[in-house]
Amino acid sequence: MMESLFYLASLVAVMATVAALTRANAAHALIYLIVSLLAVAVLFFLMGAPFAAALEIVIYAGAIMVLFVFVIMMLNLGESGTAREQEWLAGRNWIVPGFMAGLLLLELMLALRHGAGTTSGVAVSPKAVGLALFGPYVLAVEIASMLLLAALVGAYHLGRRFIVRREQR
Amino acid sequence: MSSADFIALSPLLVLSAAAALLMLQIAFLRSVTLSALLAAVGLVLAALSCVYAAPQAPLQVTPLLLLDHLALLFCALFSLAGAVTVLLSLDYIQCHGDEPEEYFLLLILSTLGACVLACANHLASLLLGLELLSIALYALIAYPNKSLLPLEAATKYLVLSGAAVAMMLFGFALLYASTGTLSFAELGARLAQLPATDPVLMIGAAMAFAGLAFKLSAVPFHLWTPDVYSGAPAPVTGFLASVGKAAVLLVLLRLFLEADLFRYRILVELVGLMAILSMLAGNLLALLQTNIKRMLAYSSIAHIGYLLIVFMVSLDAGSRALGIEAAAFYLVAYTVTTLAAFGLLTLISARQAERENVELHHINGLFWHAPLLAGLMMVALLSLAGIPLTAGFIAKFYIFSAAVSGHNWILLGALIVGSGISIYYYLRVVYHMSRKPEQHHPQPTARGYWLVRSLACLLIVAILLLGTLPQALMSYLRSILS
Repeated sequence: MMESLFYLASLVAVMATVAALTRANAAHALIYLIVSLLAVAVLFFLMGAPFAAALEIVIYAGAIMVLFVFVIMMLNLGESGTAREQEWLAGRNWIVPGFMAGLLLLELMLALRHGAGTTSGVAVSPKAVGLALFGPYVLAVEIASMLLLAALVGAYHLGRRFIVRREQR
Repeated sequence: MSSADFIALSPLLVLSAAAALLMLQIAFLRSVTLSALLAAVGLVLAALSCVYAAPQAPLQVTPLLLLDHLALLFCALFSLAGAVTVLLSLDYIQCHGDEPEEYFLLLILSTLGACVLACANHLASLLLGLELLSIALYALIAYPNKSLLPLEAATKYLVLSGAAVAMMLFGFALLYASTGTLSFAELGARLAQLPATDPVLMIGAAMAFAGLAFKLSAVPFHLWTPDVYSGAPAPVTGFLASVGKAAVLLVLLRLFLEADLFRYRILVELVGLMAILSMLAGNLLALLQTNIKRMLAYSSIAHIGYLLIVFMVSLDAGSRALGIEAAAFYLVAYTVTTLAAFGLLTLISARQAERENVELHHINGLFWHAPLLAGLMMVALLSLAGIPLTAGFIAKFYIFSAAVSGHNWILLGALIVGSGISIYYYLRVVYHMSRKPEQHHPQPTARGYWLVRSLACLLIVAILLLGTLPQALMSYLRSILS
């Protein structure tokens, strides 16, 4: 039962990723990317890692959503933009991603109803993740914080290039 | 964690503290001189703290890091290389790009990444160290924000390196799926129980190795190297070529040693094939270059090829000790020489508005108007070529004798052919420097010039010392490796 759900979700993930790669329209590609990330989250959940599943949705799907909003905001300025946006978001474009997302929701419901069975045999609780991260792997967390600092400072400096140029104009 | 753990970790702690302090300083008071001073002091202190940490070694700190003497030696070397890079870039960064202070912060973080790699004996710390090193480097490469060439170089490096790391991570995941562990030593123990022909294992190992080989820019994963080297600011290129390569090679060597991957003959032979390709392709392509930075990029590919010989040598357990010793010596000599070469290139190119390109004709007649600079450059190039009395000669001789003791005749042939070709293009630079001066009269830059000049002299003295009196380092390496 769990195995078949797992393979179904992986099929959705692969198909959504292929669709995301092949769409010519960036907004449509992003919708498929979100579906793909949701499918991966369901995979994590079925494998017994609910914490990773939640993070996948919060960080990846959430961040991609924000990216999506930015794309819409930046590409569509003015009247023609509004018309184009309406065309992009026309009902027919929602059918396939909506079906995929609905399938994933159904899977999640079924998995929740069936209870604790996981495909890997071991469920890892959020508490266990926290204990490992701040126990033996505490240095990994510290190094990762330095990594994020480097990324932040680098992004700030590279972004400045454009801010300064705009001010000069 | 006990107090011994903290003492052993002190180089990494000092670097992190320096990064935090520098960030606070930038937040309250922007001053390039102060930032550079703080960064240099932090990096030198980190190098000194390796001496303080040495009595604790070898010590396993959490499952992630192994602080042994070799790791501490290279932490000290990387920190000193970082300090040298700070001082070399001081003049450069002041006239390139606004807000130059964060440059030094990124340099410290990058050095921290290299030190983490030197200590890593767990795939998680390997990945984190590698990413810390490279993410800071992307920003450093793109730092001068008045020209487009660095941005192009950084973008190329970011995209290709991102793909390579993703591939490596996939490889790690496959290895973890079949062994259930990420620590090097345990990985070796689990691998011993599995059949060597397990396809998942083989694909995983190949993917992980491809990612690391990309970072080393070994042929056939070398295509990014010349573009990135020529686009990046010269001091950053020096840091990338020396510390960036040495740290990755060190961790690769440790992975092979601790997980005992030498028992997979086919994997090691693949490394040997890469070594031959890197030596030949690197040297042959370097012949075609007129841009000195691109030439040095191809020559660094060839040097990685020389270093990879060590893996084939270590296939035979008897000559493994000599092979590791040779690799460690070569890495020290290569780091010092590369830093010196790129440092001097900074000085030469410091006189042009567009400093990212140094063509051969730019240095025509350098011997006539800047004899000291040209003389130092010549020593650095001779060391890269492996001429006696320089560090490069002893290092190459070390590799040579290791290859002889391992009976790797094909590799030895490639080494000799490669070195023969390399002498031509290194000496071509010397030839251009000694030509009659033309109209091109460079203007010396005023600020910080003496500092960079004395630093370059110091590096050259180090090269000559390593070349004439190598016994001290050799016996130290032998004592810590046995």
